[in-house]
Amino acid sequence: MLVRWLIPVGVGAASVAQVAHATQYLTVEQAQRAAFPDATAFETVRAKFDASALGVPAGWAPRVWQARAGERVLGTFFADAVIGKSEAIDYSLALDTNGTVIALEVLQYRESHGSEVRMAPWRKQFLGKTARDPVALNQDIKNISGATLSCRHLTEGVQRLLKLHASALAKG
Amino acid sequence: MPLARRAVAAVAICSIFAVNAHADDAALRAEIDALRTEIAALKAEVRHIEGERNSADATPTKASAPASADAAPVPQSAAAANATTLWGYGEMNYNHPTARAADAQADLRRAVIGFSHAFDEATHVYGELEWEHAVASADDAGETEVEQLYIEHALAPAYGVRAGLMLVPLGLLNEHHEPTQYFGVERNFVETAIIPSTWREGGVAMYGNTDFGLSWNAGIGTGPDLGKWDPASGEGRESPLGSIHQELQLARARDPSLFAALNWTAIPGLNVGGGAFAGKIGQGADFAGKDARLLLGEVHARWQTGPFDFSALYARGTISDTQALNLTFAGESTPVPKAFWGGYAQGAWRALAWNESNLTPFVRYEQFNTGAAYAEQPLGVSTSALPTEKVWTAGINYYLNPNVVFKFDYQDFNRDDAELGYGNRFNLGIGYQF
Repeated sequence: MLVRWLIPVGVGAASVAQVAHATQYLTVEQAQRAAFPDATAFETVRAKFDASALGVPAGWAPRVWQARAGERVLGTFFADAVIGKSEAIDYSLALDTNGTVIALEVLQYRESHGSEVRMAPWRKQFLGKTARDPVALNQDIKNISGATLSCRHLTEGVQRLLKLHASALAKG
Repeated sequence: MPLARRAVAAVAICSIFAVNAHADDAALRAEIDALRTEIAALKAEVRHIEGERNSADATPTKASAPASADAAPVPQSAAAANATTLWGYGEMNYNHPTARAADAQADLRRAVIGFSHAFDEATHVYGELEWEHAVASADDAGETEVEQLYIEHALAPAYGVRAGLMLVPLGLLNEHHEPTQYFGVERNFVETAIIPSTWREGGVAMYGNTDFGLSWNAGIGTGPDLGKWDPASGEGRESPLGSIHQELQLARARDPSLFAALNWTAIPGLNVGGGAFAGKIGQGADFAGKDARLLLGEVHARWQTGPFDFSALYARGTISDTQALNLTFAGESTPVPKAFWGGYAQGAWRALAWNESNLTPFVRYEQFNTGAAYAEQPLGVSTSALPTEKVWTAGINYYLNPNVVFKFDYQDFNRDDAELGYGNRFNLGIGYQF
């Protein structure tokens, strides 16, 4: 019956109105504030590193900030992107002064396949990790069945940022 | 005059300030301190914005993907819309029946090119083009097909809508059928004979996931066409739905089907889910099967922990109102079943892992029956249920890297059926995905 066919079309059309930032969960600023609620300033840090020594591709340029409350350093905040299945996942990582993960957020996810990585239970696995942990999928980070590529690539991204922090940014 | 009024107001405010300043110097100082802090914060904000702009400027645009494109990080600017990406997968298999060596066969099972294009950040088209059995022509057995082609539009970060030719979201394999995603050279029997992977239908669906770990997908679309049933061939015994699916090829679409699926992944490593597909499959044609309804349901679970990967699935389908149709098929070998079902349990263990490679042995046990029950018929014409097929599969997936796999396994069948290809055999396979 034609009417039965038209129902979903109507449902779809009714919800098409609200489209702005349909793929963005959080802005960088929102993620910064959530990770470091006490911060008074986020100072941009120029991360100088040797890509080949770190084992990262040339041209990799994550954005790095130092979170401060007045003169006191609270930690480091990164914003970076990895390819999910076929498109970029924007994410942020917050580390305390010891280099321990205190927050991992998916800022923007553009394809539905693998978007399960945004869900809190999966991201929570990263809390407390440091550069000394493997941070590897199917080792200390569990997979989401059906979202393997996104899980793997995001895990690799976090591992890279932890290495960068340990080698180039950690003080002392 | 508005200007005059404003001037009077300004003078009034100034005089209030002046009075207050004289009245309470300390309060004013406190206010100035507060303003200073605020200005400092604003300055920091400006520096931060400038820094952000500089680093964005310094970031090279993504001209070409690096060698390991999927694993590589991408600069922020790659987030731009109008991105077109290509992906693909393929597999080549060798099957050697131990009792019928003459039936040994090597086949380029499938080569697939997939693409997606982002019209904007929220709107994509996804397509998958497939060649099966290497050569497709009038004289060859190969097929060329559009396996998926749909528009996806995100309405919000957590949900969206799809329209077009889509994979039916049932089971563990149908939506994730790349050879690197499953154990064993051949796809399991339950998800080919009962859930006819790769099963796709044309229609509209909504999808989404929630913060607490529930993914959902529900839609309306085309369904199988019972009018295509061939009682003389074995296809309906090999896969009842596989023999009457339409794949959006001039599909008869009088009656829409409904489907829905849920997956719960709140515990990392665990996926528990299920799905159902229902619809009339007579498609309005005037024949003995015009009232037939299909209902197919499945439940599944997968648990990946450390080096272990366990999964289990059960699926059952029923087709109603087949009595009159089967009467017209009297004397033929393959009537339409009233019920068909299958289930499997599988365990895999990543025994060895080095660099990007690993060796993962696995074992799977399945039971399935494509003709578990038939509608009652007058004496003399009735059909008895088929025996249940039971298959053990044991083998190894050797991943050279996560995207290239070499497979070996042995399959033990409890009964042989040369027509359907059932019989003990060993298999070799190569698969890749990019």
